[in-house]
Amino acid sequence: MITLIQTLIDGAMVGLVYGLVAISFVVIYRASKIINLAQGEVLVFGAFLLWTFTEGSGYAIPLPIALVLTLIACVVFGAVIERTVFRPLIGQSAFTIFMAGVALLILLRGVAQLVWGAQTRSAPAILPEGAIEFGPFLVNTRLLIGAVFTVCLTQALHLFFTRARVGLRLAAVAEDHTTALSLGVSVRQAIAVAWILGTVVATAAAAVLLSGSILSLGVAVIGFKALPVALLGGLESIRGAPLAGLIVGMFEALAATYLDPITNGAASGLLPYLLMIAVLLIRPYGLFGWQRIERL
Amino acid sequence: MRPTGVYFENFAAEARVLETRRARLWLVALCILLVALPMLAGPWLLGQLTYAFITLIAVYGLFVTVGMAGQINIAQSAFVGVGAFSAAKLSGLGVPFWLVIPAAALITGAVSVLFALPAARVRGFYLALTTLAAQVMFPIVILALPMSWLGGLVGMPVVSPDLFGLSLGGPRGFYWLALAFAAAATWCAFNLPRSRLGRAMRAVHDNDTAASVMGIPVTRIKIEAFFVGALFAGVAGALTAYFLQFVTVSSFTLFASVWYLGMLIVGGIHSPLGPILGVAFITLIQEGLHAISNALLQSGSNIGGGAVFALSSILLALCILIALIFEPRGLAHLWQTAKTTFRLWPFPRN
Repeated sequence: MITLIQTLIDGAMVGLVYGLVAISFVVIYRASKIINLAQGEVLVFGAFLLWTFTEGSGYAIPLPIALVLTLIACVVFGAVIERTVFRPLIGQSAFTIFMAGVALLILLRGVAQLVWGAQTRSAPAILPEGAIEFGPFLVNTRLLIGAVFTVCLTQALHLFFTRARVGLRLAAVAEDHTTALSLGVSVRQAIAVAWILGTVVATAAAAVLLSGSILSLGVAVIGFKALPVALLGGLESIRGAPLAGLIVGMFEALAATYLDPITNGAASGLLPYLLMIAVLLIRPYGLFGWQRIERL
Repeated sequence: MRPTGVYFENFAAEARVLETRRARLWLVALCILLVALPMLAGPWLLGQLTYAFITLIAVYGLFVTVGMAGQINIAQSAFVGVGAFSAAKLSGLGVPFWLVIPAAALITGAVSVLFALPAARVRGFYLALTTLAAQVMFPIVILALPMSWLGGLVGMPVVSPDLFGLSLGGPRGFYWLALAFAAAATWCAFNLPRSRLGRAMRAVHDNDTAASVMGIPVTRIKIEAFFVGALFAGVAGALTAYFLQFVTVSSFTLFASVWYLGMLIVGGIHSPLGPILGVAFITLIQEGLHAISNALLQSGSNIGGGAVFALSSILLALCILIALIFEPRGLAHLWQTAKTTFRLWPFPRN
């Protein structure tokens, strides 16, 4: 019983980090109707930027300043992607935009490898490491702070997208580029905001996820793990993402504890994707997504 | 637009893929050149061409799924992998070569249908996500299966093929084999768009709601598009297994899928000519990059293998982005434009 509850707690904590990465998917989709497969690569890029400003620079930059510098770099990075890749593709078919995301994936992977190299390095420890005891259970401090951060960020972004004028405009862009343009909504601005937000959220997720552990190009896999989470929560729903993250994280932890010994370690790896296919078959728009009606 | 003097007296003549006698003569010349090439070329060039032929078959499969039916598939490399592992397993069991290839193709087709089933419920990039799941799950499944089934982490050796006592192991023999399969695939890819299935796929591609109103069974056509595409992938995979004489999971990554898609997009997704031009173009770029990096290595600069891989990724990504932004119809359209310009010179094209 203790193992079970401990497993669930660990799974929930990790799941909220998945939720954080999923939010970065959702933010980009919600504001620009781009499903960005390269989100894992964006996360790695953010992590490398953070590393550059903290440990890679060679100077002893104080942590707050390093974080601000990283934030600025993320904003510039998001704006550059919008300007060079997605602005010329406004109004193009879903296929074109999807493929641009795929191209971006290998482009970012290549650039990261060229600039920072493929070797693994230790990620900057921003959050305190350790564990808090609740009775017989242990909760990882880093992940707990991350979880609280995720919940706060979710609420803030939810308010932004449902109450703020700018956020509501972004929702129009997610509905349809052409319609939004004809109503006077600047799609360019929306995509720029989407990418800046998405990059910043992804970098925050990287900081929580990697703090004090190992940073390498392979971390980008988290992007593909968060994709089922985003889909389960509903691609338009900010608040759905952490909830779906909890579900996926707990199921994954359960599979890792109880099924992996039987299946040679495959169960926890396969579970998110099987879940994704199940979601697509049963409820394609996710738990809280917008149900679209097709017209001729 | 056809030049003056080219006219047709019946429908069969007009419906041909190669409309004029001159085009047919060119094709015959090309075939003779390709068949006779092993007499002139060394084993390195033959190996490269063989590999390009196999890639071409896989990209034709992608042309059917993505170009004709408009369904995004980013698991083509996993499907090729399924074909390769099926072929390796079957040939290990002693199944003769001529039976292994169709069997591998059918197994791959069956696997692809499994992942195309969500087409009944979802469309567009949601469907693409199931293929992404297929691609990500493929190595996990292979590595988790017992070692004796599919070789696990180590991989599986494959014996070189022989057809009715005739060994096809050498570079020449295998070149001709790959050429024959590539020629058959080319024939299929050029004729499929003119068939009933091909036209149905085209209708689904243009607007699936409209297609369903016209009475086309949209879900079935989508699943068939994946199935046909995976048949090509299965053949390509089986040939890869025989060609490399060894299969491991690490050859069938998401990156390889992106490479296939990149070749298709750069070549042009709407014309069966696209895969040929795309494979040729991207292979040339890749080989050029390898040659340059080799030259750099010999001149003593410290460029590593990782940097070469990174550079080729960046180059491919730029090719895809440039094609998407500036010429979504790809090299095939540029080729048609160039032909028209040449024919009409010195008059302007429009």
